[in-house]
Amino acid sequence: MDSQEVLAELIGILAPLAKGRAVSPDTELIGDLALESLQIMNLVLAIEDRFDISVPVNALADVRTVGDLAVQIEKQLGHD
Amino acid sequence: MGKLQRLQGIATARKELDALGIDPFGVQIDGIVSATEGVIAGRATILAGTNNYLGLTFNPECIAAARAALESQGTGTTGSRMANGSYAEHRKLERELAAFYGKRDAIVFSTGYQANLGMISTLAGPDDVAVIDADSHASIYDGCRLGGGEVIRFRHNDAADLAKRMRRLGARARGALIVVEGVYSMLGDRAPLRDIIAVKRQYGAVLLVDEAHSLGVLGDRGRGLCEELGVVADVDYVVGTFSKSLGSTGGFCVSERSDLDLIRYASRPYVFTASLAPATIASTRVALRLLDEGTDLRRRLRENGERLHAGLAALGFRLGAPPGAVVAVVLGDKLAALQFWQRLLEHGVYVNLMVPPATPNGESLLRCSVSAAHTPAQIDAVCAAFAAARRSAA
Repeated sequence: MDSQEVLAELIGILAPLAKGRAVSPDTELIGDLALESLQIMNLVLAIEDRFDISVPVNALADVRTVGDLAVQIEKQLGHD
Repeated sequence: MGKLQRLQGIATARKELDALGIDPFGVQIDGIVSATEGVIAGRATILAGTNNYLGLTFNPECIAAARAALESQGTGTTGSRMANGSYAEHRKLERELAAFYGKRDAIVFSTGYQANLGMISTLAGPDDVAVIDADSHASIYDGCRLGGGEVIRFRHNDAADLAKRMRRLGARARGALIVVEGVYSMLGDRAPLRDIIAVKRQYGAVLLVDEAHSLGVLGDRGRGLCEELGVVADVDYVVGTFSKSLGSTGGFCVSERSDLDLIRYASRPYVFTASLAPATIASTRVALRLLDEGTDLRRRLRENGERLHAGLAALGFRLGAPPGAVVAVVLGDKLAALQFWQRLLEHGVYVNLMVPPATPNGESLLRCSVSAAHTPAQIDAVCAAFAAARRSAA
């Protein structure tokens, strides 16, 4: 799975939570999608299962945007 | 988010509470009458949110031992054990804790929080992996942060999810530190420890169990969930606190592993903190003996937990877990929980208000903890207060 495919897959997972708003790599999870910490945690659990990875808690501290999250997923998939 | 922004968020939340005339996080207890009664805002109040599980805070033997130590050894140690030396009683307590668990050795820390901070930060350093239950206490998360290792969360109490995370780690799973709690403080639910131990064995990991809320509560001798399930020997590090069942303050870790004594030298929360005062050590040593002998205390605690659970269930409240020393009423909505908590106080009952993000599933809770020292009449009065508080809400 290449970077574009990871991003497309991620945007597909986020779309139902976006309530009709467009989701791009620059979309902020808290600022734009107004996700609460519990929603983000559940979202991460779902994403981890979808890609069969574990994103370390430490890495999540740097995640603000959809693009940031995609980078972490790629990192765990061994793309970096 | 900068400091000013963070504090502004707190100021806004405080203002909301002020507008409601409720101050759940600044309660002043003007008088302590006994292990189960206090005076709050001039009102006699049943304390049902203090984690004083065995009710030993006013035990005459504990008080006498503390008083004798205070008079013979002074008010404090005025420094850390590394710098100022250990008092003989610090080591005596450690040996007694080790003997209680049948383990090689123990380390005493100055608080329960620091026991997790000190152990986890040392066991999971920069090149290590810690795999922790998602609903872990802040001291576990903070220990991970201080250690600087990689931190992986698994779904709460889900051994299959833990196994999945271990598989994903590949070769790094060997030696990874798995951290769980015997009883989770918010809802009072228990870890599936046998299943977790099976995963630990399969992957060659190391297991730390925090028995803060199960020490004195579970197991024939009160050693916690690991004793109740007969798996004391399978747990590499057992952490606990003195500030609940033992009625004082402090924390500990016991282990069979030979590296435990080396951890003393590497653990910053141990090295750089003043050691426990003589009176605290003295009362804790007596309390540990009473806990060990306390089959009757545990029976009363269990009966009180069952009585409160049954009483609140009969009133139709949604409860967080099967009967135990922690009985959590799940209210969901934060404002409703705030107002309910305040009305309970007006009816002479103090419980813990718990709101997100500290709570699981984003739901607000009224968390009760029972004590062996509660009388059946007090438990019934707590149930009656819940019923009355709900009526006055309608």
